[in-house]
Amino acid sequence: MLIIGENIHIIAPKIKEAVNNRDTAYIQKVALAQWNAGAQVIDLNIGPQKKTGVEVMEWIVDAVQTAIPDVVLSLDTTNAAAIEAGLKKCKNKPFINSTSAEEERLAAMAPLAAKYGAKIIALTMTKSGIPVAAEDRFSIATDILLPKLTEAGVPVENIYFDPLVLTVAGSQEYVPNAVEAVRLMKLWDPPLNTVVGLSNVSNQVSHENRSLINRTYLVMLMAAGLDAAIADPLDRELMRFMRIVETRDDSTPVGRLLLHLYDTTQAMEPFDPSVVDMNDPEQVAIYKTVRILKNEIIFADSYLKM
Amino acid sequence: MPVTVETPLEKWTGKVREVTLGATRDQKGTRSKTVTVGGETTLPFLHFEGSIPHPPVIAIEIQDSYPSDWSPVLLNAWGDTLKDPAEWAKKAEALGADLIMLRLRGVNGDGSETTGAQAAAVTKAVLQATGLPLIVRGPGQAEKDNELLVAVAEAAAGERLALGLCEDKNYRTIVAAALAHGHLVINSTPIDVNLAKQLNILVSDMQMEPDRILMDPTTGALGYGLEYTYSVMERLRIAALTGDSMTQMPMICFTGEESWRQKESKVGEGVPAAWGDWTRRGILWEAVTAVALLEAGADIVTLRHPDSVPIVRKAIEQLMAH
Repeated sequence: MLIIGENIHIIAPKIKEAVNNRDTAYIQKVALAQWNAGAQVIDLNIGPQKKTGVEVMEWIVDAVQTAIPDVVLSLDTTNAAAIEAGLKKCKNKPFINSTSAEEERLAAMAPLAAKYGAKIIALTMTKSGIPVAAEDRFSIATDILLPKLTEAGVPVENIYFDPLVLTVAGSQEYVPNAVEAVRLMKLWDPPLNTVVGLSNVSNQVSHENRSLINRTYLVMLMAAGLDAAIADPLDRELMRFMRIVETRDDSTPVGRLLLHLYDTTQAMEPFDPSVVDMNDPEQVAIYKTVRILKNEIIFADSYLKM
Repeated sequence: MPVTVETPLEKWTGKVREVTLGATRDQKGTRSKTVTVGGETTLPFLHFEGSIPHPPVIAIEIQDSYPSDWSPVLLNAWGDTLKDPAEWAKKAEALGADLIMLRLRGVNGDGSETTGAQAAAVTKAVLQATGLPLIVRGPGQAEKDNELLVAVAEAAAGERLALGLCEDKNYRTIVAAALAHGHLVINSTPIDVNLAKQLNILVSDMQMEPDRILMDPTTGALGYGLEYTYSVMERLRIAALTGDSMTQMPMICFTGEESWRQKESKVGEGVPAAWGDWTRRGILWEAVTAVALLEAGADIVTLRHPDSVPIVRKAIEQLMAH
């Protein structure tokens, strides 16, 4: 499982301030913390930066590469000139984050991915938005994104398809669909690479429940075959869940529960509540979260109390 | 050769809670009857799949002082009755209302702010004028709602009024007053299933019994977001029937208020001639909005025009016949 560290994001006030002040030390600190916590790729979301995109991207790529010489970067902006400036600077093949199936975005990003041999995250959305059904997201991947990108010279192994995760707080009925879209993509020949922006699943959720929702969802996505997640590597509980699944660590009751979730999701079988020890608050919380993520119970901020 | 086709039936495990409004003399109130809503074990009017023990009911909305901002169609229909809440309540009862909803405007006819004592007095006058159970709503500003509803709750202790609206930013005072004086509450959230459930949890956390809570999913009028309300109500009801206890409260829709806010009902001049007769249009707008929401699962609809009442009543009777 490839973790793309999400913490350098212009939405975060401290990052915005650091970018505006070109605070190299702070950016390096956040990048290193993620790297040391197990991120294999560091995302650099600088926002659109219409005027100073090239300069900001060159500065931030240099800053992170100086601190972590082996780093793989994910260049995250809609500004194509800034992306190209970053691509020129990257020592290891980076990710372009991102394109969608909209013509203008494809026309701007596909040639860059081809020219620099970069990987590219391809969102399964069109001008008219994100389709609801898993099959429709899959169709955007195979009918538009894949042919257009390969035609532009991007090999299929460099494309990471993102079926787009929606939040339980507002779009709960579509939360299972991203899992199913990943499953469909992995059934393609050859199996497509998949990536999600994991934390989106808990957008607008109160802070104390976000990690539990994120990490439980990650287990379900991994079961469907997910290859990469843009996520918070500093979330130790998230990394613990990932490790349990990857090493099939059944030495703890929670480990066995997560492996049951993984196995049943993979086999498309129902989750068996009898495996949950109802006297163990952590197991009960995971079970309730599974029910939320499967859209079996309506989400509410206090869902764990119920 | 005759073929036997079996109707596929949904098997629901949950049930909407039964909520009783009003208390009679031997229940420490003064109402001549009580009204119970809820109890459904199936989606609206699917009698072949489950039971619907109580038909949905109609509340007629009255206000504590002259509603000068109402559509002229409404002002003409009611005439001078609108100047006296007690008279208004009596007429509403005579028109066949199941419940009376008293809306406190927060401002008196002379422009002064309504005091708690005035709100208590008008509530008592209405209670004396009618034997029907009562819903009392504040003006919709948190501070004023709290001030007036606390006074009303105390003055009408034991009457099992439904008090509202409780919203996520302002519910504690109203819930506490209802708890202290034996009333119900109405939880209101803005067309969102997650927030509706969350508010039910928060209010239940204050030890309010779930069978003393009604929920208002927020009503859109015909042509003005009705379909959003409809789909939210459908999701809440399906969740209730599948056993989610914090969505099992009966639903109330303030249909009169919403439909008479819209241009089609409120305005008679400068609109296309093809819109037809203004009065008829306004009444139909209200009735159609109400019936659509009944089909979506409303247990209580509130109406404003006297002539909407028989239309909605007839629809309820026909939908309940099986």
